[in-house]
Amino acid sequence: MTTAPQELTVTIGDVSRTLPTVRAGGMGRVPLVEFIGDSEFTKAVAQEMVALIPAGTEVLLTVVTNALPLTHELSDRSGLPYVCARKKRRTYMQQPLIQDVPSMTLGVAETLWLDGPHAERLKGRRVTIVQDVVASGGTAQALARLVERAGGTVSGYLAAFRQGTPTLDVIALQDLPRTLS
Amino acid sequence: MPPRVTLRQVDTFKVQIGRVTRDLPIVPVSPDVKVALFNMLGDTDVTEEAGRELAQKLPADIDVLVTPEVKALSLAHVISRESGKPYIVIRKTQKPYMVDPVAREVVSITTGKPQLLVLDGFDVQKIRGRKVAIVDDVVSSGGTLHSIRQIIEEVGGEVAAVVAVFTEGQERPEVTALGHLPLFK
Repeated sequence: MTTAPQELTVTIGDVSRTLPTVRAGGMGRVPLVEFIGDSEFTKAVAQEMVALIPAGTEVLLTVVTNALPLTHELSDRSGLPYVCARKKRRTYMQQPLIQDVPSMTLGVAETLWLDGPHAERLKGRRVTIVQDVVASGGTAQALARLVERAGGTVSGYLAAFRQGTPTLDVIALQDLPRTLS
Repeated sequence: MPPRVTLRQVDTFKVQIGRVTRDLPIVPVSPDVKVALFNMLGDTDVTEEAGRELAQKLPADIDVLVTPEVKALSLAHVISRESGKPYIVIRKTQKPYMVDPVAREVVSITTGKPQLLVLDGFDVQKIRGRKVAIVDDVVSSGGTLHSIRQIIEEVGGEVAAVVAVFTEGQERPEVTALGHLPLFK
């Protein structure tokens, strides 16, 4: 007997999206939230998230790629500047901070790169870490290490969605299941 | 009105984008060439100003925007938000979840290395038979542009416009830009 695959629809404000899924080994299908290519959804999510930014935050820190348009919108709405870590070295980087991620995203090991002049903008600042989805919390931990190494302090972890039970205290708009059948 | 561009001192280059000005650092990219480094990542005001201005300059008959990741991503988001036209991101690595991806290689001036450009097959239907505007931060050698154009044409789209914040090096009349960056020695 076969059953129809489960579908997951999320609604933020007045925007609803049925999430695409990717197969992950024998674990079933993992729902994916896509902000890139979807300015309407990005705007709706940012509108609700801006109220959740921890008080006292001076700078937002995110990482490429999916959370980038979301963080831009949060920055524009809150008036707080943001800094973005990369996942590859760029030739123009000056004295970048390099940080390994202690977990894997979809089976790929990652390293984060923060350009030196961008790291300067975190120094002595209260920084909120912004992500699209937090699952294990590995990327969030690596971003927190970058904040500390740059001389800043972490104000909190903010994500649009929490997936499963991350090891960190993450403020999120909604929870998502880790897998669908 | 085109942005005002003046040389302030040897190591920075002043540009105006809408209501904001920035001093771009002049950095070497090879032994004989330096560029004024324009990086919109983390610059919300510049991204908003440029995105709003470029959205106004976008031809009305454009159906969809296509942009390479990463630096022009927020720009494409703002142009999309302001114009109501959807945008598609061409990735620089193939993702495990992509379906029938279309790929091209290009040598970039800022990386100096061959760079892969990949369109998810899932996005092909959004480009086929449509009028496309390519969105980028800086159009320099035109290498990235050429490869993106090839990918769009291969899947049956028509490149009807190219919009960028700056052209760099040679003048490019086919590009709708807000300003021009010279190359430095």
